[in-house]
Amino acid sequence: MTRLRPWLRALHRDLGYLAVGLTVVYALSGIAVNHIADWDPNFDNYEAQHQLTLPLPASDAAIADQLLRELAVTAPPTEVYRSDSNEVSVLLEGRSFHVNTDTGAVLEDGQRERFLIRVANWLHLNRGKKAWTYIADGYAAFLLILATSGLFMIPGRKGLIGRGGLLVALGVAVPVLYVSLSGGP
Amino acid sequence: MSKPSPEVQASLTRRNFIARAASGTVITAMGGGLLYTLSDRLTREAKAMTTIDGRPRLPPGQRALEALRPMGGTPGSPSISDFRLKIHGEVDKPIELDWAGLLAQPQAELELDVHCVTGWSLLGASWKGVRLADLARAAGVKPSARHVIFEAAAGYTANVRLAEALAPDVLIAHRHDGKPLARPHGAPVRAVVPSLYFWKSPKYLSGIKFVARDEPGYWETRGYHNHADPWLEERYG
Repeated sequence: MTRLRPWLRALHRDLGYLAVGLTVVYALSGIAVNHIADWDPNFDNYEAQHQLTLPLPASDAAIADQLLRELAVTAPPTEVYRSDSNEVSVLLEGRSFHVNTDTGAVLEDGQRERFLIRVANWLHLNRGKKAWTYIADGYAAFLLILATSGLFMIPGRKGLIGRGGLLVALGVAVPVLYVSLSGGP
Repeated sequence: MSKPSPEVQASLTRRNFIARAASGTVITAMGGGLLYTLSDRLTREAKAMTTIDGRPRLPPGQRALEALRPMGGTPGSPSISDFRLKIHGEVDKPIELDWAGLLAQPQAELELDVHCVTGWSLLGASWKGVRLADLARAAGVKPSARHVIFEAAAGYTANVRLAEALAPDVLIAHRHDGKPLARPHGAPVRAVVPSLYFWKSPKYLSGIKFVARDEPGYWETRGYHNHADPWLEERYG
């Protein structure tokens, strides 16, 4: 074992360096997705209210023009349609406006992408499939090697037969106790 | 009076720090608890209510919210020009509806309770759309059909037993809370199946397939319950 330890340390060190990038991706995304009941981890969703000057013109297209002009929206609408007898909806990239044609009240709803965390979530949930499955499997194998090599890196009282062993037992006890106390799946 | 020694001073400073930190923690915890208690009035009220069939209105493990919460997922197109709804599978007359075709169907506006598997519920919100039972009747569902598979953007699917899918409160909804369905909630059209956890009500709906044999969907094949009854807490498989 004494002869193996320098090799183990070198392996552990280099795999550790390699694993940094993916660990950050999986850890950040893990926290983000774990709290999905409290927030949308992919998009910042918003609603806003506006008021147009009355009276509104008769045609839906003219209402859309007035909306864009008064709200200083420069992007072109992708769609303008009657969503109800007294409501015109104006869709743009990433946002929608719904104009009440009786009152001129406008409801805006939209989504702004949380770019980095969305990419991390996409990778974590393996939504892209294909080659990422192999990369994720490889990363999982890396983690297993890191965990196992870590067990035997340090000799003596700070190693597996001393403090290390105690900490390993503590780490294993956390999920075991949780499953036992919670009743499990 | 002599000045305390540096050791005594350090100890006092440390003691001070610990006392202040402890007080801060207690005040924050009490404030948070109070805020949680006050904000959970809806849940308390909901727990006191029962449904027509005698079940508690709020299923176990749920907390009532004031508004629908966006739950992520891959968005589909909110455009009504892109919208197509295919009703197919075990039917006599497969149907494909565009936006105008959907609006031409008999419309229903219902106040429904919905329950998310993550633990929140939205009670009594208004949903407007077409009853799935009406669409099924128009398509002529064959006696061989046993399940409904909802098909949505990015390949998302969810399976529902036929009898539950054809319940009169199951809607193919395009309005919620008096407004067109917002993007995070599946614009332009989503399913609403109030009797099951909300992942069985796909957003950005594109198809309704009637099948003879069950086809577990996106979450069902990822460890979630195949049936998903909130009152039985069928969260995980």
